Amino acid sequence: MIKLLRIELFKIFRRPRTYISFGIVTAISLIIQLAMLSGGKDFVSFGMQGVTDQFDIQGDIINGYFVTYIILQSLLVQIPLLVALVAGDMLAGEANIGTLRLLLTKPISRPKLIMIKFLASLVYTILLIVWLAVVGLFLSLAIFGEGDMINMKSDAFIMILKNDVMWRYVAAFGFAALAMTAIAAMAMMLSAFADNSIGPIIATMGIVVVLTILSSLELPLFNLIKPYLFTTHMIGWKGFFDDQVPYGAIGRSASVLVIYTVAFLGTTIAYFNKKDITS
Amino acid sequence: MMKKIMVLLMMMIVAVGAKSMEADKLYYALRDKVMKVKDYTADVKIKIDVNYMRIPEVKGKLFYKAPDKMRLERNGGLSVLPKKNINMTLSNLMPTGTVTALDAGSETISGKRTRIIKVIPDGESNIVLAKLWIDEGALTVLKTETTTKDQGMILMNLEYGAYSAYGLPTKVLVSMDVKEYKLPQGVAMDYNDPMEVKQKPKDGKPRKGTIQLTYLKYDINTGLSDNVFKKPSK
Repeated sequence: MIKLLRIELFKIFRRPRTYISFGIVTAISLIIQLAMLSGGKDFVSFGMQGVTDQFDIQGDIINGYFVTYIILQSLLVQIPLLVALVAGDMLAGEANIGTLRLLLTKPISRPKLIMIKFLASLVYTILLIVWLAVVGLFLSLAIFGEGDMINMKSDAFIMILKNDVMWRYVAAFGFAALAMTAIAAMAMMLSAFADNSIGPIIATMGIVVVLTILSSLELPLFNLIKPYLFTTHMIGWKGFFDDQVPYGAIGRSASVLVIYTVAFLGTTIAYFNKKDITS
Repeated sequence: MMKKIMVLLMMMIVAVGAKSMEADKLYYALRDKVMKVKDYTADVKIKIDVNYMRIPEVKGKLFYKAPDKMRLERNGGLSVLPKKNINMTLSNLMPTGTVTALDAGSETISGKRTRIIKVIPDGESNIVLAKLWIDEGALTVLKTETTTKDQGMILMNLEYGAYSAYGLPTKVLVSMDVKEYKLPQGVAMDYNDPMEVKQKPKDGKPRKGTIQLTYLKYDINTGLSDNVFKKPSK
Protein backbone atom coordinates (compact mmCIF):
# COMPACT_ATOMS: atom_id res chain seq x y z
CA MET A 1 0.00 0.00 0.00
CA ILE A 2 2.77 2.44 1.03
CA LYS A 3 4.78 1.50 -2.05
CA LEU A 4 1.81 2.17 -4.31
CA LEU A 5 1.18 5.46 -2.55
CA ARG A 6 4.81 6.43 -3.11
CA ILE A 7 4.46 5.63 -6.81
CA GLU A 8 1.33 7.80 -7.06
CA LEU A 9 3.06 10.63 -5.21
CA PHE A 10 6.04 10.30 -7.52
CA LYS A 11 3.70 10.63 -10.49
CA ILE A 12 2.16 13.77 -9.00
CA PHE A 13 5.36 15.52 -8.01
CA ARG A 14 7.34 14.74 -11.17
CA ARG A 15 4.85 16.77 -13.20
CA PRO A 16 5.76 20.46 -13.52
CA ARG A 17 2.08 21.46 -13.38
CA THR A 18 1.95 20.30 -9.75
CA TYR A 19 4.35 23.07 -8.82
CA ILE A 20 2.29 25.66 -10.66
CA SER A 21 -0.21 25.41 -7.77
CA PHE A 22 2.49 26.17 -5.21
CA GLY A 23 3.68 29.04 -7.40
CA ILE A 24 0.16 30.48 -7.68
CA VAL A 25 -0.35 30.28 -3.90
CA THR A 26 2.98 32.04 -3.37
CA ALA A 27 2.23 34.72 -5.97
CA ILE A 28 -1.24 35.54 -4.63
CA SER A 29 0.06 35.66 -1.05
CA LEU A 30 2.89 37.99 -2.03
CA ILE A 31 0.54 40.24 -4.03
CA ILE A 32 -1.85 40.59 -1.10
CA GLN A 33 1.03 41.20 1.33
CA LEU A 34 2.41 43.87 -1.00
CA ALA A 35 -1.04 45.44 -1.37
CA MET A 36 -1.50 45.50 2.40
CA LEU A 37 1.94 47.05 2.84
CA SER A 38 1.13 49.85 0.43
CA GLY A 39 -2.61 50.41 0.79
CA GLY A 40 -3.66 48.40 3.81
CA LYS A 41 -4.41 51.52 5.84
CA ASP A 42 -7.10 52.69 3.38
CA PHE A 43 -8.68 49.24 3.32
CA VAL A 44 -8.78 49.09 7.09
CA SER A 45 -10.04 52.65 7.56
CA PHE A 46 -12.89 51.95 5.14
CA GLY A 47 -13.88 48.83 7.03
CA MET A 48 -13.47 50.44 10.43
CA GLN A 49 -15.41 53.62 9.69
CA GLY A 50 -18.37 52.57 11.80
CA VAL A 51 -16.09 51.92 14.77
CA THR A 52 -13.70 54.84 14.44
CA ASP A 53 -16.61 57.31 14.36
CA GLN A 54 -16.92 56.78 18.09
CA PHE A 55 -13.81 54.95 19.19
CA ASP A 56 -10.14 55.63 18.88
CA ILE A 57 -8.16 52.52 18.02
CA GLN A 58 -4.42 52.63 18.57
CA GLY A 59 -1.85 50.02 17.65
CA ASP A 60 -0.99 47.98 14.58
CA ILE A 61 -4.23 46.67 13.13
CA ILE A 62 -2.44 45.56 9.98
CA ASN A 63 -0.37 42.81 11.52
CA GLY A 64 0.55 39.32 10.33
CA TYR A 65 -2.60 37.68 11.68
CA PHE A 66 -4.91 40.19 10.00
CA VAL A 67 -3.11 39.95 6.65
CA THR A 68 -3.25 36.13 6.80
CA TYR A 69 -7.01 36.30 7.20
CA ILE A 70 -7.28 38.48 4.09
CA ILE A 71 -5.08 36.01 2.19
CA LEU A 72 -7.17 33.05 3.28
CA GLN A 73 -10.40 34.84 2.44
CA SER A 74 -9.11 35.53 -1.08
CA LEU A 75 -7.25 32.29 -1.72
CA LEU A 76 -9.61 29.65 -0.43
CA VAL A 77 -11.88 30.45 -3.37
CA GLN A 78 -9.09 29.71 -5.87
CA ILE A 79 -7.54 26.70 -4.17
CA PRO A 80 -10.28 24.28 -5.35
CA LEU A 81 -9.01 24.88 -8.90
CA LEU A 82 -5.48 24.02 -7.81
CA VAL A 83 -6.69 20.87 -6.05
CA ALA A 84 -8.72 19.90 -9.13
CA LEU A 85 -5.60 20.29 -11.31
CA VAL A 86 -4.16 17.20 -9.65
CA ALA A 87 -7.16 15.24 -8.34
CA GLY A 88 -9.07 15.64 -11.61
CA ASP A 89 -6.14 14.13 -13.43
CA MET A 90 -5.71 11.07 -11.22
CA LEU A 91 -7.82 8.62 -13.26
CA ALA A 92 -8.64 10.55 -16.43
CA GLY A 93 -4.97 11.42 -16.93
CA GLU A 94 -4.03 7.74 -16.86
CA ALA A 95 -6.89 6.97 -19.25
CA ASN A 96 -5.76 9.75 -21.55
CA ILE A 97 -2.19 8.54 -21.89
CA GLY A 98 -3.32 4.91 -22.06
CA THR A 99 -1.77 3.61 -18.86
CA LEU A 100 -4.97 2.91 -16.93
CA ARG A 101 -5.63 -0.49 -18.49
CA LEU A 102 -2.02 -1.48 -17.91
CA LEU A 103 -2.26 -0.31 -14.30
CA LEU A 104 -5.35 -2.46 -13.74
CA THR A 105 -3.57 -5.59 -14.98
CA LYS A 106 -1.55 -5.45 -11.74
CA PRO A 107 -2.79 -7.53 -8.79
CA ILE A 108 -4.59 -4.71 -7.09
CA SER A 109 -8.32 -4.26 -6.65
CA ARG A 110 -10.04 -1.27 -8.21
CA PRO A 111 -11.35 0.09 -4.86
CA LYS A 112 -7.82 -0.11 -3.47
CA LEU A 113 -6.45 1.72 -6.48
CA ILE A 114 -9.06 4.44 -6.03
CA MET A 115 -8.19 4.77 -2.32
CA ILE A 116 -4.47 5.02 -3.05
CA LYS A 117 -5.04 7.66 -5.71
CA PHE A 118 -7.33 9.54 -3.34
CA LEU A 119 -4.70 9.35 -0.55
CA ALA A 120 -2.08 10.68 -2.97
CA SER A 121 -4.43 13.58 -3.85
CA LEU A 122 -4.98 14.14 -0.13
CA VAL A 123 -1.22 14.36 0.52
CA TYR A 124 -0.91 16.91 -2.30
CA THR A 125 -3.89 18.89 -0.93
CA ILE A 126 -2.47 18.94 2.61
CA LEU A 127 0.95 20.00 1.32
CA LEU A 128 -0.71 22.83 -0.59
CA ILE A 129 -2.49 23.98 2.59
CA VAL A 130 0.77 23.68 4.57
CA TRP A 131 2.49 25.77 1.90
CA LEU A 132 -0.34 28.30 2.20
CA ALA A 133 0.35 28.41 5.94
CA VAL A 134 4.04 29.01 5.27
CA VAL A 135 3.66 31.83 2.74
CA GLY A 136 0.36 33.14 4.08
CA LEU A 137 0.78 32.99 7.83
CA PHE A 138 4.47 32.73 8.65
CA LEU A 139 5.66 35.08 5.91
CA SER A 140 2.97 37.62 6.91
CA LEU A 141 4.09 37.37 10.53
CA ALA A 142 7.67 37.90 9.41
CA ILE A 143 6.74 40.96 7.35
CA PHE A 144 4.05 42.59 9.51
CA GLY A 145 4.78 41.19 12.96
CA GLU A 146 2.26 39.76 15.38
CA GLY A 147 -0.40 41.55 17.38
CA ASP A 148 -4.04 41.47 18.43
CA MET A 149 -6.23 40.43 15.52
CA ILE A 150 -9.37 42.20 14.45
CA ASN A 151 -12.19 40.52 12.61
CA MET A 152 -14.51 42.89 10.79
CA LYS A 153 -17.86 41.18 10.46
CA SER A 154 -20.78 42.91 8.75
CA ASP A 155 -22.46 43.53 12.10
CA ALA A 156 -19.65 43.20 14.65
CA PHE A 157 -16.12 44.24 15.39
CA ILE A 158 -14.19 41.46 17.07
CA MET A 159 -10.79 41.74 18.70
CA ILE A 160 -8.83 38.61 19.52
CA LEU A 161 -5.80 38.91 21.78
CA LYS A 162 -2.54 37.91 20.12
CA ASN A 163 -1.89 34.98 22.45
CA ASP A 164 -5.30 33.59 21.51
CA VAL A 165 -4.86 33.63 17.71
CA MET A 166 -2.38 30.94 16.66
CA TRP A 167 -4.50 27.95 17.71
CA ARG A 168 -7.35 29.43 15.67
CA TYR A 169 -5.17 29.42 12.56
CA VAL A 170 -4.09 25.83 13.20
CA ALA A 171 -7.78 24.86 13.45
CA ALA A 172 -8.70 27.01 10.42
CA PHE A 173 -6.01 25.42 8.24
CA GLY A 174 -7.18 21.99 9.43
CA PHE A 175 -10.73 22.86 8.44
CA ALA A 176 -9.55 24.22 5.08
CA ALA A 177 -7.77 20.91 4.46
CA LEU A 178 -11.05 19.09 5.17
CA ALA A 179 -12.93 21.34 2.73
CA MET A 180 -10.30 20.79 0.04
CA THR A 181 -10.46 17.03 0.65
CA ALA A 182 -14.12 17.16 -0.38
CA ILE A 183 -13.08 19.01 -3.55
CA ALA A 184 -10.38 16.42 -4.24
CA ALA A 185 -12.93 13.62 -3.82
CA MET A 186 -15.33 15.34 -6.21
CA ALA A 187 -12.60 15.96 -8.79
CA MET A 188 -11.60 12.30 -8.58
CA MET A 189 -15.20 11.22 -9.07
CA LEU A 190 -15.47 13.36 -12.19
CA SER A 191 -12.08 12.02 -13.26
CA ALA A 192 -13.50 8.49 -13.15
CA PHE A 193 -16.27 9.52 -15.55
CA ALA A 194 -13.89 10.99 -18.14
CA ASP A 195 -11.08 9.87 -20.39
CA ASN A 196 -9.20 13.16 -20.51
CA SER A 197 -8.18 15.37 -17.59
CA ILE A 198 -9.37 18.75 -18.90
CA GLY A 199 -13.04 17.79 -18.52
CA PRO A 200 -12.92 16.86 -14.81
CA ILE A 201 -10.79 19.90 -13.93
CA ILE A 202 -13.12 22.34 -15.70
CA ALA A 203 -16.22 20.52 -14.43
CA THR A 204 -14.92 20.69 -10.83
CA MET A 205 -14.27 24.38 -11.12
CA GLY A 206 -17.62 24.97 -12.80
CA ILE A 207 -19.49 23.16 -10.04
CA VAL A 208 -17.56 25.05 -7.33
CA VAL A 209 -18.19 28.42 -8.99
CA VAL A 210 -21.92 27.82 -9.56
CA LEU A 211 -22.51 26.42 -6.07
CA THR A 212 -20.45 29.22 -4.45
CA ILE A 213 -22.68 31.77 -6.19
CA LEU A 214 -25.77 29.92 -4.95
CA SER A 215 -24.26 29.82 -1.45
CA SER A 216 -23.60 33.54 -1.35
CA LEU A 217 -26.78 34.91 -2.94
CA GLU A 218 -29.35 36.06 -0.38
CA LEU A 219 -32.48 34.90 -2.18
CA PRO A 220 -35.32 32.93 -0.55
CA LEU A 221 -35.21 30.20 -3.19
CA PHE A 222 -31.49 29.58 -2.65
CA ASN A 223 -31.82 29.83 1.13
CA LEU A 224 -33.73 26.55 1.05
CA ILE A 225 -30.95 24.62 -0.64
CA LYS A 226 -27.95 26.43 0.83
CA PRO A 227 -27.55 24.25 3.94
CA TYR A 228 -27.19 21.20 1.69
CA LEU A 229 -24.50 22.59 -0.60
CA PHE A 230 -20.92 21.70 0.33
CA THR A 231 -19.73 25.14 -0.81
CA THR A 232 -21.84 26.73 1.95
CA HIS A 233 -19.85 24.76 4.51
CA MET A 234 -16.41 25.35 3.02
CA ILE A 235 -16.13 28.70 4.82
CA GLY A 236 -16.51 27.01 8.22
CA TRP A 237 -12.86 27.92 8.99
CA LYS A 238 -14.00 31.51 9.56
CA GLY A 239 -15.96 30.37 12.60
CA PHE A 240 -12.70 29.93 14.52
CA PHE A 241 -12.23 33.70 14.44
CA ASP A 242 -15.41 34.55 16.29
CA ASP A 243 -15.21 35.64 19.93
CA GLN A 244 -17.38 32.69 20.92
CA VAL A 245 -16.31 29.93 18.54
CA PRO A 246 -19.51 28.31 17.17
CA TYR A 247 -18.28 24.75 17.60
CA GLY A 248 -21.74 23.34 16.87
CA ALA A 249 -21.98 25.09 13.50
CA ILE A 250 -18.38 24.23 12.61
CA GLY A 251 -18.96 20.62 13.61
CA ARG A 252 -22.08 20.44 11.43
CA SER A 253 -20.20 21.99 8.50
CA ALA A 254 -17.34 19.53 9.00
CA SER A 255 -19.85 16.65 9.08
CA VAL A 256 -21.47 17.80 5.83
CA LEU A 257 -18.03 17.96 4.18
CA VAL A 258 -17.15 14.46 5.44
CA ILE A 259 -20.49 13.11 4.17
CA TYR A 260 -19.87 14.66 0.74
CA THR A 261 -16.31 13.26 0.67
CA VAL A 262 -17.54 9.75 1.50
CA ALA A 263 -20.38 10.05 -1.04
CA PHE A 264 -18.02 11.22 -3.81
CA LEU A 265 -15.54 8.45 -3.02
CA GLY A 266 -18.29 5.83 -2.77
CA THR A 267 -19.69 6.90 -6.14
CA THR A 268 -16.20 6.81 -7.67
CA ILE A 269 -15.55 3.29 -6.39
CA ALA A 270 -19.01 2.04 -7.41
CA TYR A 271 -18.72 3.50 -10.91
CA PHE A 272 -15.07 2.60 -11.46
CA ASN A 273 -15.68 -0.99 -10.32
CA LYS A 274 -18.09 -1.52 -13.18
CA LYS A 275 -16.40 0.70 -15.72
CA ASP A 276 -15.24 -0.90 -18.92
CA ILE A 277 -11.65 0.27 -19.23
CA THR A 278 -10.80 0.58 -22.89
CA SER A 279 -7.82 2.91 -22.75
CA MET B 1 -51.81 89.30 56.72
CA MET B 2 -50.67 90.51 53.28
CA LYS B 3 -47.48 91.84 54.86
CA LYS B 4 -46.77 88.45 56.43
CA ILE B 5 -47.20 86.68 53.07
CA MET B 6 -44.85 89.15 51.37
CA VAL B 7 -42.21 88.62 54.07
CA LEU B 8 -42.56 84.85 53.70
CA LEU B 9 -42.19 85.09 49.92
CA MET B 10 -39.13 87.31 50.27
CA MET B 11 -37.59 84.83 52.68
CA MET B 12 -38.25 81.96 50.27
CA ILE B 13 -36.66 83.85 47.35
CA VAL B 14 -33.61 84.66 49.47
CA ALA B 15 -33.41 81.03 50.65
CA VAL B 16 -33.55 79.70 47.08
CA GLY B 17 -30.93 82.25 46.04
CA ALA B 18 -28.69 81.28 48.93
CA LYS B 19 -29.07 77.55 48.12
CA SER B 20 -28.25 78.27 44.46
CA MET B 21 -25.10 80.08 45.48
CA GLU B 22 -24.18 77.13 47.66
CA ALA B 23 -24.61 74.83 44.66
CA ASP B 24 -22.33 77.10 42.64
CA LYS B 25 -19.72 77.10 45.40
CA LEU B 26 -19.95 73.34 45.79
CA TYR B 27 -19.50 72.85 42.06
CA TYR B 28 -16.52 75.19 41.85
CA ALA B 29 -14.89 73.58 44.90
CA LEU B 30 -15.38 70.17 43.37
CA ARG B 31 -14.08 71.27 39.98
CA ASP B 32 -11.02 72.87 41.58
CA LYS B 33 -10.25 69.61 43.34
CA VAL B 34 -10.66 67.55 40.16
CA MET B 35 -8.62 70.03 38.10
CA LYS B 36 -5.70 69.80 40.51
CA VAL B 37 -4.81 66.55 38.80
CA LYS B 38 -2.82 67.69 35.80
CA ASP B 39 -1.76 64.25 34.65
CA TYR B 40 -1.60 60.66 35.75
CA THR B 41 -0.39 57.26 34.71
CA ALA B 42 -2.55 54.39 35.88
CA ASP B 43 -2.55 50.62 35.64
CA VAL B 44 -6.03 49.78 34.43
CA LYS B 45 -8.37 47.01 33.42
CA ILE B 46 -10.84 47.97 30.72
CA LYS B 47 -13.96 46.16 29.60
CA ILE B 48 -15.97 47.47 26.67
CA ASP B 49 -19.53 46.27 26.38
CA VAL B 50 -21.00 47.65 23.17
CA ASN B 51 -23.50 45.64 21.16
CA TYR B 52 -21.33 45.40 18.04
CA MET B 53 -17.92 45.31 19.73
CA ARG B 54 -16.66 42.02 21.06
CA ILE B 55 -13.49 42.81 22.92
CA PRO B 56 -12.13 40.83 25.85
CA GLU B 57 -11.23 42.59 29.09
CA VAL B 58 -7.72 43.96 28.67
CA LYS B 59 -5.07 45.30 31.03
CA GLY B 60 -2.92 48.26 30.19
CA LYS B 61 -1.36 51.51 31.21
CA LEU B 62 -3.55 54.59 30.89
CA PHE B 63 -1.88 57.96 30.40
CA TYR B 64 -3.87 61.14 31.00
CA LYS B 65 -2.93 64.75 30.70
CA ALA B 66 -5.32 67.64 31.28
CA PRO B 67 -7.39 68.81 29.64
CA ASP B 68 -8.16 66.01 27.18
CA LYS B 69 -5.16 63.86 26.29
CA MET B 70 -5.57 60.18 26.95
CA ARG B 71 -3.79 57.09 25.71
CA LEU B 72 -4.00 53.43 26.58
CA GLU B 73 -0.84 51.40 26.09
CA ARG B 74 -1.06 47.65 25.91
CA ASN B 75 2.46 46.38 25.45
CA GLY B 76 2.22 46.25 21.65
CA GLY B 77 -1.45 45.21 21.57
CA LEU B 78 -4.40 47.16 20.20
CA SER B 79 -6.13 49.64 22.46
CA VAL B 80 -9.67 50.84 22.05
CA LEU B 81 -10.93 53.96 23.81
CA PRO B 82 -13.87 56.24 23.17
CA LYS B 83 -13.00 59.30 21.11
CA LYS B 84 -11.65 62.19 23.14
CA ASN B 85 -14.96 64.00 23.22
CA ILE B 86 -16.27 61.16 25.36
CA ASN B 87 -13.26 61.18 27.59
CA MET B 88 -13.18 58.69 30.38
CA THR B 89 -12.26 61.32 32.94
CA LEU B 90 -14.61 63.22 35.19
CA SER B 91 -12.95 66.53 34.35
CA ASN B 92 -14.13 66.24 30.75
CA LEU B 93 -17.70 65.78 31.80
CA MET B 94 -17.68 68.91 33.99
CA PRO B 95 -18.34 72.21 32.19
CA THR B 96 -15.48 74.70 32.32
CA GLY B 97 -15.72 78.46 32.80
CA THR B 98 -18.59 80.12 34.64
CA VAL B 99 -21.67 78.03 35.15
CA THR B 100 -25.13 78.17 36.62
CA ALA B 101 -25.58 75.46 39.21
CA LEU B 102 -28.98 74.52 40.61
CA ASP B 103 -29.93 72.18 43.40
CA ALA B 104 -31.93 69.19 42.20
CA GLY B 105 -32.53 67.26 45.40
CA SER B 106 -30.68 64.42 47.01
CA GLU B 107 -30.30 60.68 46.60
CA THR B 108 -28.56 57.82 48.38
CA ILE B 109 -26.04 55.92 46.24
CA SER B 110 -24.31 52.83 47.65
CA GLY B 111 -25.30 53.89 51.15
CA LYS B 112 -23.93 57.40 50.74
CA ARG B 113 -26.17 60.46 50.79
CA THR B 114 -25.50 62.58 47.73
CA ARG B 115 -26.60 66.05 46.78
CA ILE B 116 -27.73 66.41 43.20
CA ILE B 117 -26.85 69.58 41.34
CA LYS B 118 -27.55 70.53 37.76
CA VAL B 119 -24.87 72.54 36.00
CA ILE B 120 -25.42 74.62 32.89
CA PRO B 121 -22.39 76.25 31.26
CA ASP B 122 -22.77 80.00 30.75
CA GLY B 123 -20.55 80.12 27.68
CA GLU B 124 -20.22 78.02 24.51
CA SER B 125 -19.60 74.37 25.36
CA ASN B 126 -20.11 70.88 23.94
CA ILE B 127 -21.82 70.09 27.26
CA VAL B 128 -25.45 71.21 27.36
CA LEU B 129 -26.26 70.09 30.87
CA ALA B 130 -24.41 68.16 33.56
CA LYS B 131 -26.16 66.55 36.49
CA LEU B 132 -23.85 65.56 39.33
CA TRP B 133 -24.48 63.38 42.38
CA ILE B 134 -21.99 64.72 44.94
CA ASP B 135 -20.85 63.21 48.22
CA GLU B 136 -20.39 66.50 50.07
CA GLY B 137 -18.37 65.03 52.92
CA ALA B 138 -15.67 63.53 50.69
CA LEU B 139 -16.19 66.11 47.93
CA THR B 140 -16.40 63.40 45.30
CA VAL B 141 -18.84 62.76 42.46
CA LEU B 142 -20.52 59.37 42.60
CA LYS B 143 -22.57 59.74 39.46
CA THR B 144 -22.83 62.08 36.48
CA GLU B 145 -25.37 62.45 33.73
CA THR B 146 -23.99 64.69 31.00
CA THR B 147 -25.92 65.76 27.93
CA THR B 148 -23.59 66.66 25.09
CA LYS B 149 -24.28 68.26 21.73
CA ASP B 150 -22.67 65.61 19.55
CA GLN B 151 -22.60 62.40 21.59
CA GLY B 152 -25.99 62.37 23.29
CA MET B 153 -26.18 61.47 26.94
CA ILE B 154 -23.21 60.05 28.82
CA LEU B 155 -23.76 58.45 32.22
CA MET B 156 -20.86 57.85 34.56
CA ASN B 157 -20.84 55.93 37.83
CA LEU B 158 -17.76 56.25 40.00
CA GLU B 159 -16.35 54.37 42.97
CA TYR B 160 -13.55 55.67 45.15
CA GLY B 161 -10.75 54.15 47.17
CA ALA B 162 -7.23 55.19 48.06
CA TYR B 163 -7.15 58.13 45.65
CA SER B 164 -10.37 59.92 46.68
CA ALA B 165 -8.30 62.81 48.08
CA TYR B 166 -7.43 63.64 44.45
CA GLY B 167 -10.98 63.03 43.31
CA LEU B 168 -9.71 60.07 41.31
CA PRO B 169 -11.92 56.98 41.19
CA THR B 170 -10.89 53.35 41.43
CA LYS B 171 -13.74 52.21 39.24
CA VAL B 172 -15.65 54.05 36.50
CA LEU B 173 -18.60 52.79 34.53
CA VAL B 174 -19.47 54.94 31.53
CA SER B 175 -22.74 54.40 29.67
CA MET B 176 -23.24 56.15 26.37
CA ASP B 177 -25.27 56.07 23.19
CA VAL B 178 -23.59 54.10 20.42
CA LYS B 179 -24.49 54.16 16.76
CA GLU B 180 -25.31 51.13 14.67
CA TYR B 181 -22.39 49.42 12.95
CA LYS B 182 -22.77 47.91 9.51
CA LEU B 183 -20.09 46.79 7.08
CA PRO B 184 -20.80 45.88 3.43
CA GLN B 185 -20.80 42.10 2.89
CA GLY B 186 -18.09 42.49 0.23
CA VAL B 187 -15.41 43.49 2.70
CA ALA B 188 -16.80 41.74 5.78
CA MET B 189 -15.23 38.60 7.20
CA ASP B 190 -18.56 36.97 8.00
CA TYR B 191 -19.35 33.43 9.00
CA ASN B 192 -22.87 32.47 10.00
CA ASP B 193 -24.21 29.07 10.92
CA PRO B 194 -25.42 27.74 7.53
CA MET B 195 -28.25 25.82 9.24
CA GLU B 196 -29.53 28.81 11.17
CA VAL B 197 -32.36 31.12 10.13
CA LYS B 198 -31.06 34.60 9.32
CA GLN B 199 -31.63 37.27 11.98
CA LYS B 200 -33.88 40.22 11.31
CA PRO B 201 -32.11 43.34 10.04
CA LYS B 202 -31.36 45.89 12.73
CA ASP B 203 -33.58 48.94 13.20
CA GLY B 204 -30.76 51.51 13.10
CA LYS B 205 -31.69 53.08 16.46
CA PRO B 206 -28.85 54.09 18.78
CA ARG B 207 -28.00 51.60 21.54
CA LYS B 208 -26.43 51.92 24.95
CA GLY B 209 -22.86 50.88 25.41
CA THR B 210 -20.84 50.66 28.60
CA ILE B 211 -17.15 50.93 29.30
CA GLN B 212 -15.84 49.81 32.66
CA LEU B 213 -12.46 51.05 33.79
CA THR B 214 -10.86 49.69 36.93
CA TYR B 215 -7.89 51.69 38.17
CA LEU B 216 -5.38 49.53 40.00
CA LYS B 217 -2.65 52.09 40.70
CA TYR B 218 -2.11 55.79 39.96
CA ASP B 219 1.01 57.91 39.59
CA ILE B 220 -0.30 61.47 39.81
CA ASN B 221 1.12 64.77 38.54
CA THR B 222 4.44 63.38 37.35
CA GLY B 223 4.68 65.94 34.54
CA LEU B 224 3.87 63.70 31.59
CA SER B 225 5.29 64.90 28.29
CA ASP B 226 3.03 65.51 25.28
CA ASN B 227 5.18 63.03 23.37
CA VAL B 228 3.58 60.20 25.34
CA PHE B 229 0.31 60.91 23.52
CA LYS B 230 1.71 61.08 20.01
CA LYS B 231 0.61 58.24 17.78
CA PRO B 232 3.55 56.19 16.48
CA SER B 233 4.08 56.96 12.81
CA LYS B 234 3.52 53.81 10.81
